[in-house]
Amino acid sequence: MRVAVAAAGLLLAFRAFACGYCVEDKIASTYDHAVVVGALERKHHIAFFHIDGSLPAGADARRTLERLAESAAGVDKASARVSVDTATLSFAFDPRRTSLDAAHKAVERKLAPRGLSLMPLRVMERAADLKTVAR
Amino acid sequence: MRRLAAVAATSFLAACTPPAPPPPPPTDPYDAKQMDLKPVPAKLTAERHKGAFAEGASLSLGAELKPLDPSPVKTVRLDTTHKIIEIAPGVKFSAWTFGGQVPGPTVRARVGDKIRFSMTNRSDEPVAAPAVTAAPMMHSMDFHAAMVSPQDKYRSIAPGQTIEFEFTLNYPGVFMYHCGTPMILEHIASGMYGAVIVEPRNGYPTKADREYVVIQSEFYAKPDREKRKVDGVPLYVLDGDNLRKAAPNYTVFNGTHNGMVKNPLAAKAGERVRLFVLNVGPSKTSSFHIVGTIFDRAWIDGNPDNQFRGMQTVLLGSSNSAIVEFMIPEEGSYIMVDHHFANASQGAIGLVSTATKPAANELEHHNMPASATPTEPDAVAGKLAFESKCLACHSVGEGRKLGPDLAGVTKRHSSAWLARWLKEPEKMLATDADAKALLKEYNNIPMPNQSLSDAEIRQYLKYFEWIDQQPAGAVKAQSGGH
Repeated sequence: MRVAVAAAGLLLAFRAFACGYCVEDKIASTYDHAVVVGALERKHHIAFFHIDGSLPAGADARRTLERLAESAAGVDKASARVSVDTATLSFAFDPRRTSLDAAHKAVERKLAPRGLSLMPLRVMERAADLKTVAR
Repeated sequence: MRRLAAVAATSFLAACTPPAPPPPPPTDPYDAKQMDLKPVPAKLTAERHKGAFAEGASLSLGAELKPLDPSPVKTVRLDTTHKIIEIAPGVKFSAWTFGGQVPGPTVRARVGDKIRFSMTNRSDEPVAAPAVTAAPMMHSMDFHAAMVSPQDKYRSIAPGQTIEFEFTLNYPGVFMYHCGTPMILEHIASGMYGAVIVEPRNGYPTKADREYVVIQSEFYAKPDREKRKVDGVPLYVLDGDNLRKAAPNYTVFNGTHNGMVKNPLAAKAGERVRLFVLNVGPSKTSSFHIVGTIFDRAWIDGNPDNQFRGMQTVLLGSSNSAIVEFMIPEEGSYIMVDHHFANASQGAIGLVSTATKPAANELEHHNMPASATPTEPDAVAGKLAFESKCLACHSVGEGRKLGPDLAGVTKRHSSAWLARWLKEPEKMLATDADAKALLKEYNNIPMPNQSLSDAEIRQYLKYFEWIDQQPAGAVKAQSGGH
């Protein structure tokens, strides 16, 4: 039984993470060059996440999620981007104030009441370098 | 007796001779065992390409194709850029490109060749008009000619990143390449496509005197909401609403509205011409036809194993292709057209011509722009609509035809009268004295009701007003005889 649960967990993990093509396409869906350039100039990082859960449709709902993410400690204002189509969230953060892990958890706490959680995909710490997030 | 023994011995020997081995089974040119299906993993770096946006001996930049480069390994570099292109006179469009052009350069190779490809996403580089190009974004490359893992090779890369990968060509054909980054529809409609020609391992079974590539595509352009300008004319951007409705406003060959009417593909009488035709769409089919000749051979998807003879038209869905070969029977201009004439009226027209420069009436044939051209968006739209629908009965500055010459029409009639005339000519003919006089003057041939919307009427009027603001004789438009 334990083996079966572990196998199912592995399969779920694969569904979420195995497809590099989809990961980069998800990143493309929220990639905003102005946010990236502005953040890197300030030596901030940009993190990309898969959103798990039922996402509300519409521009207002998208903007609400972005505002929630931006209200988390360490997340840059006006830097959050959400794609409902690809269930992706990205934001910039100051690594001197918070770690990726802490920012991830802080944003996730904001989204939890809506039944949403985050899975980190990539982080950009310098230009043209999308780093895989160690899990 | 001796003779009988000899015959018997011969018969015995013959009976003992092993039968001739059966002929070997025909070799399958598509035998997977002969294919290279072990490409090496793609490599991603932050090292940027500099200089030219396209490089490689196997690349052709225009319609005329270079001969096959004999090297078995083709190094191909196609960087992505954002730039402004002119898709019709006065229509400057914010495009995304491979190799700095739309369509991207054509790659030519043959079965068994290896393509060693690299691409830097240079969408973040400043260009001539940086203020009006689209913001940098992620891009990717999807080669239909390749058999590789898309998860590895067709990854989207960020501005400043470079991807390198290689693959071997296993099938002959004319294959599309395009950006595969979501929304794919927007990336293709913005100009990110091109062709890879893969010749059979032993070449084509026929010999052609001329070879050209013709790529059909659609543009969905609308004036920029912020009213930005390029070189003094309005900027056009992607019209996302019409894109999703598959309602283009330009359907073109090789990236330009009527471009190959102005610059025909050259040929001589008696020559055999081979066209590599690719319809990239993204959403319309093409009924590719050439007026005045017949396709002696049509190789569907560009593979001579898929052969039809004596074809009048080839039907190409999005990303379908064909090689068509035909004779030029005599001197003349042979009209390439999408026989879905709604598409042709949007610019999918070109010529294969024995004349170095087509005659003036040839240039005016099928929607050709006159020497002067408006730039205001409504007037541009009005001009294109007029040239598509009205030239059979009207000219501009070339005298009367079935209907009046429309040069000076805004001076002869008020805008309100013209608007009513275009909206409901049958009612005007019943009630308006000027309309009745026109009917009589033009042999009782009534102006047909074209079911124009108010917006279309406004565009026509803008165009007519523009004509009448030009110096006398500066604008001429008249259809040919076809």
